[in-house]
Amino acid sequence: MSDEPASSTENTLEELCLRTVELIDATSGPLKSVRLQRGDTSIEVEWPDLARVTPPALDATAVPVPVADVAPVPVAGAAPPQTPDAARPGDSFVVEAPLVGTFYRAPSPGSRPFVEVGDIVEEGQQVAIVEAMKLMNAVSAERSGRVVEVLVNDAVPVEYGEPLLVLASA
Amino acid sequence: MFSTVLIANRGEIALRVARTCRELGIRTVAVCSDPDRESAVTRFVDECVRIGPAAPRRSYLNAAAVITAALQVGADAVHPGYGFLSEDPDFAEICETAGLTFVGPSSSLLAKLGDKARAREIAREAGLPVLPGSPETLETVGQAKSVAAAIGYPVIIKAVAGGGGRGMTVVRDPRDLSGAFLEARAGAQAAFGDARLYAERYLENARHIEVQILGDGEGEVVQLGERDCSVQRRRQKLLEETPAPGLPRELADRICAAAVHSARELDYAGAGTYEFLVDQDGGFYLMEVNCRIQVEHPVTELVTGVDLVREQLRVAAGYGLSIRQEDIAPRGVSIECRVNAEDPERGFLPTPGVVEEFSAPGGPFVRVDTHGFPGLRVTADYDPLLAKVAVWAPDRRQAIERADRALGEFRVAGRGMSTTREFLREVLADATFRAAKHTTGLVGDLKPAEVRRTGARRASCPS
Repeated sequence: MSDEPASSTENTLEELCLRTVELIDATSGPLKSVRLQRGDTSIEVEWPDLARVTPPALDATAVPVPVADVAPVPVAGAAPPQTPDAARPGDSFVVEAPLVGTFYRAPSPGSRPFVEVGDIVEEGQQVAIVEAMKLMNAVSAERSGRVVEVLVNDAVPVEYGEPLLVLASA
Repeated sequence: MFSTVLIANRGEIALRVARTCRELGIRTVAVCSDPDRESAVTRFVDECVRIGPAAPRRSYLNAAAVITAALQVGADAVHPGYGFLSEDPDFAEICETAGLTFVGPSSSLLAKLGDKARAREIAREAGLPVLPGSPETLETVGQAKSVAAAIGYPVIIKAVAGGGGRGMTVVRDPRDLSGAFLEARAGAQAAFGDARLYAERYLENARHIEVQILGDGEGEVVQLGERDCSVQRRRQKLLEETPAPGLPRELADRICAAAVHSARELDYAGAGTYEFLVDQDGGFYLMEVNCRIQVEHPVTELVTGVDLVREQLRVAAGYGLSIRQEDIAPRGVSIECRVNAEDPERGFLPTPGVVEEFSAPGGPFVRVDTHGFPGLRVTADYDPLLAKVAVWAPDRRQAIERADRALGEFRVAGRGMSTTREFLREVLADATFRAAKHTTGLVGDLKPAEVRRTGARRASCPS
């Protein structure tokens, strides 16, 4: 088995390793990945973005429709249909579960939901909780918009990436 | 028996575990990452929970996500497969705390044996021979240098938290030590989140012999014979067989007895493997203990008729082992070939891509453990293992012919994708391998291109 480094690249490699160890030592928290390259000398260190929320794109199957077709905001209280694949009016986007857990619409039982259908939310505003292992994880809107639909009932288990709310860009 | 088992793994082993669960009437739940949503196992199981994106740290290595999924579906046990969380003592402990049965040894035993430096000491105290090595973990380059000088070169530097052939560096020249040490430390920190290292004498021409054991957790331990896994590249196995060819039965029996003795002392529960290096003089040395089902377990199953996953589940559920030592009578020879999406011509570099053609071999005495199908996307996020082609035959010569026949009819291809299939056939045809004179140096000696040119080097097998 001959994967020992060639002697010509030895110094670069040693240097690279030293720098990486320094870099790791100088930071706190778990790392996501470390990438070393011998060729043109590069170090990549990646930390997990713990506050990650929604993947930017809406469902690939969602078909954009002309602005004129944008429906008026549905009346609050309408039953939440489970049809995330259907075409959404206008420039809508979906807030997905950032982790597997239990979906909660309100900060505590009996209190007012974070958002109701029709509400305007700001970018970064909390719209729900996904609880896992007794940890309450805030779910925030990645962009500002108007809540069109809440797709999941309160206190229901959700999996990673499950569509939770539909928002229409404001 | 359990009513619902969550399988905290992916690929062929997740499917393998799910199949035995189904035979036992257990409801099966898989977890999957984003790219694995349409995998062979998610189609097979009764239910699947998506737990995260492709990156293992956020999905299959994410203990919180796995436990949450297990509680959501009402699982009573978690089978960890191999790799990922299978030997993580913290994960085993969280399972226990959450009221889930972890299918494997207790968290305290995993902590003892998972720390490779500590496992060395435990083995030594139990009278198992180990290679000369560092008595404690290495902290500085200076310390590494003096320890290596005392052990004698070549030395192998290993990550305390490593395993499965990962996190090891061989150093032949003292001048290379400091670079190798720093590289290994950074690598161990990145791969295992634990930068601690230890060193051992490296045996240049040794055979890798391992012993499959099963324990009931109350002191009863049986052994199911040994496996020879000497055909390796970068210390990762490519081909495994049982019984070990050309190894005197008396020596093999002594190695098996040593493993049983140690496992009894530990009250070992479930399936485990004791890995040894055997030198040319018949000396054997413990390398590590793997507290999980191994990739190459099918060869043991084929010669013994024992379903190892079933025994794991029985022990975890409190039913004990279904077999006693006198019930185990290995018969014939079994060989397993690992067909990986890798290019042997380019140092076994993984070749991700989409599998366009996939038609697994079949016929008499051929077992294929795979998650492959046309359309499977092989990504760089996970192990490049595509399929394990295992065969059984009454003797080694027939087993080699059968393995070659099976690999020959295996159709697996995709744009930009290479596999180890043809290389494995070269190994099967190699005179040294056929004569069972090979060591862990075989693959390094077999330069793929050279082999192709001298492909006619097919020797008669002394069997």
